[in-house]
Amino acid sequence: MYLFGLFNIGKSAIYASQTALSVTGNNIANANTPGYSRQEAVLDVSTPVSVSGGYMGTGVRVAGIRRHYDNFIQSQLLSQNQYYGRSQSLDSAFGQIEQVFNDSGGAGLSSPLADYFNAWQDVSSNPEGQTQRTVLLQKANTLVIAAQRMENGITGNLKSINGQIGDTVGRINTIASEIAALNERISQAEGSSSSGSANDLRDQRQNLLNELGTLTEFSSNEETDGSVNVSMGMKSLVYKGNTNLLSVQTDENGDKMVYLDKTDITSKVYQGQLGGLISARDTIENHQLKDLRKMIASVIKEVNLLHRNGYGLDSSTGNNFFGSLDLTIQDSSSGADMTASITDLSQLTLNEYDISFDGSGDYHVLNKDTGSEVATGAYVSGNPISFDGISVTVSGTVSSGDTFSVSPLTTAIKNFGVAISDYRKIAAATSNSALPGDNSNALNIIKLSQQNISNLGSKTYANYYEGIVSEIGSLSSSAADSLLFDQNMLTDISNRREAISGVSIDEEATNLIKFQRAFQAGAKMIQVTDELLQSILNL
Amino acid sequence: MRITSLMIYNQLAGSLQRSMDEFARLNEQLATGKKIGKPSDDVTGAINSMGYRLSISSNEQYKRNIDQTNIQLDFTSKIVSSVSDSLLDLHELASMGNNAQAQEQRDFYSSEAAQWRDYFLSLSNSKLGSKYVFSGQNTDKPAFVYNTTTGKYDYQGNTGETKVLIDDQATATMNIQGSRVFSFALTDPLPTALSDGTPVQYTQAADPVTGINTVTVTIGNAGDAGYDTFSFSNLMDIANVMSSSWQYKGIDGNSLNADAAVSEQMAMHRIAALAKPLDDARIQALNIESEIGSRQVLVNDQSTRLDSSTLSFQNSLTKTEDADMNQIATDLIKTQTALQAMMQSASRILSQSLLDFLK
Repeated sequence: MYLFGLFNIGKSAIYASQTALSVTGNNIANANTPGYSRQEAVLDVSTPVSVSGGYMGTGVRVAGIRRHYDNFIQSQLLSQNQYYGRSQSLDSAFGQIEQVFNDSGGAGLSSPLADYFNAWQDVSSNPEGQTQRTVLLQKANTLVIAAQRMENGITGNLKSINGQIGDTVGRINTIASEIAALNERISQAEGSSSSGSANDLRDQRQNLLNELGTLTEFSSNEETDGSVNVSMGMKSLVYKGNTNLLSVQTDENGDKMVYLDKTDITSKVYQGQLGGLISARDTIENHQLKDLRKMIASVIKEVNLLHRNGYGLDSSTGNNFFGSLDLTIQDSSSGADMTASITDLSQLTLNEYDISFDGSGDYHVLNKDTGSEVATGAYVSGNPISFDGISVTVSGTVSSGDTFSVSPLTTAIKNFGVAISDYRKIAAATSNSALPGDNSNALNIIKLSQQNISNLGSKTYANYYEGIVSEIGSLSSSAADSLLFDQNMLTDISNRREAISGVSIDEEATNLIKFQRAFQAGAKMIQVTDELLQSILNL
Repeated sequence: MRITSLMIYNQLAGSLQRSMDEFARLNEQLATGKKIGKPSDDVTGAINSMGYRLSISSNEQYKRNIDQTNIQLDFTSKIVSSVSDSLLDLHELASMGNNAQAQEQRDFYSSEAAQWRDYFLSLSNSKLGSKYVFSGQNTDKPAFVYNTTTGKYDYQGNTGETKVLIDDQATATMNIQGSRVFSFALTDPLPTALSDGTPVQYTQAADPVTGINTVTVTIGNAGDAGYDTFSFSNLMDIANVMSSSWQYKGIDGNSLNADAAVSEQMAMHRIAALAKPLDDARIQALNIESEIGSRQVLVNDQSTRLDSSTLSFQNSLTKTEDADMNQIATDLIKTQTALQAMMQSASRILSQSLLDFLK
């Protein structure tokens, strides 16, 4: 054993302490960096040398820099982020739609509808009065405006949800590209050096994965070379250093659909903000918006049916009170066109229909709301198809697999309007000879407000509307509850991650002292060795 | 568990956020006075209060309908009572002028009767606002008009009733048709002879469309010198017959008979024969007055019921959606205390650092 060996031991102590101090310093510097995982210099004894009588240590070496990291907690965090993202989207979407139905806040349809029927009551108590009739027309217009404002509120929200879907997809694509880039750097860094993992790059990638988790539902797995593969809806988004980008296509309803690798994965994304946005959009479209339209369509239908039977002060009869309902057709055929008209308003179910043509030349009319087939038969070119008060005529050549959908609801609110402007045309009387004091038709219309409407599942207008409000209220309150729950869960998991990976300043301060002293001791060691050498040289 | 300073910071930030959230919620309740700001705050409560509000609004509507009904019934009642009072006077006039009189007196009686006739006509054509109240549903036309061809008064209304809802189910009738006040059916027993023994016969026929009852009076036996027949269908017709009778004339202005004595006898018989119809008319008017009275009692009862039901709905509404101010004030203080305690403890913990002790 040479005396110079002592120098080496001292030197290794200084080096090791210096490295440990660097790591400590880095930890302190990154104490507040999100997603940073605490690092630790792992010290090890250097290979001892054999001397007579045994082995003798040769100092210390830095075996590696360890990142404090728990895979299990990380994966929990990742999935909790997805839940949280969904809850966030649902909460904000339903919260906004709820405001449209907020009757206690002055919005909503409850009081305009009641006012409309009350105005009919005033007409009934003074059927010959111009004032009452003019007020009725005003109240009817207020009802129209209220319904249209609500529809605009809902469709405006749907538009912004679709916009957010587009933005989210854009952000997901950016993150996917960044992850792919990091994958390459990590596999290079970890493949080329034997010194272990690329801690900081991994932290960066973990951060991106966490953010991706709040945005969308995905699954990921780590390759042996350190890359992480990400897939959405059973399709690969990131594979090692490559990405397949998401794309967005707008369907016939104006809704944005998410495509990956030319496949529509919209229905497969459930969690994350994207999943939340898609669920909220579908729920609002199929429930709140449709229900509201159905209710207005029913008001138009029932009031018009009764109003047509009555007589106005000018003896006119057969007038519609509200503008008549229109049918909207969605054409998914190769070359045929379809026109539809309402032949019997009283037969109208206010449901939506799919009309399809099969290979054997038959047509099938399916009621989309009940799921039952309402009409079928051999299709004779040019002949109208009639069902439930609706008659459709197809022009052009029908080929097998062509489908059309017919809806009386789509434009119900958009085209909702008062058809009469002359107060004398308000048909309060049922008999032309009993004018102007006959109010029995007005009484019939008033009774509508208490009546169970068969098209609305045998509910009164008020009850049906209450149903809509209670549904959106429940959706909104359960979304808020889930958000709170997911937030708490997220905080809890984050805390557990923090317990393992977080930087404690006090702990680092202790380390600082510890390695400072070790450094000082190492330096002293060299000084002592130097003095020893000196004394030998002075011999 | 290993605790890091970041965890404590996060915890502090989270608690602050929760407290501010709570403050905002309480403040909103204080500011609006409502504990339900949107349906999701309390779905059941929000739906219930919607229902309460609807009930209150329809109660108010029913009250408005009742007010309208009351106005018209009051108005009608006053007219009908004028009719019954006037009939008493007309009856008296008939008994006073029931025998041969000097020309001047007959002129007086005749003009009196004509005045009553015109008064009845103006009563029957009373207008409330712009509508003729006694025309059934044909409220844009006067109930009775003079027909220059027949010399009689024709009813232009119908039997229609104007009903309004005073409840979800119940209706009240606002109007009394003119055909019921100014036209009437004679009640049994019908007299068969006048006081002087002359046979008299009343036949009546009701028109189902207008509700007008036409009475034909036949006095004497066919072939007698004073054999006479005439008809009337309403009070104006009766007064008109009386007025012309005192002139010994028919309603067409011609003498009843070429012989003055026969003419006089026929005229007096006519006036005598009208005593029974005048009585019945008055009873009819009194009946209608009491009918109006009972309708008013009904709607006023209903009005009281609506008031109390509105009050109870309002109470329920208050209970459901109004914020409990005492509760909010207490909650506010609780939240404040919790916030202060948290801030104090956080400031103690956060100010502790090992670095302060390292020299």
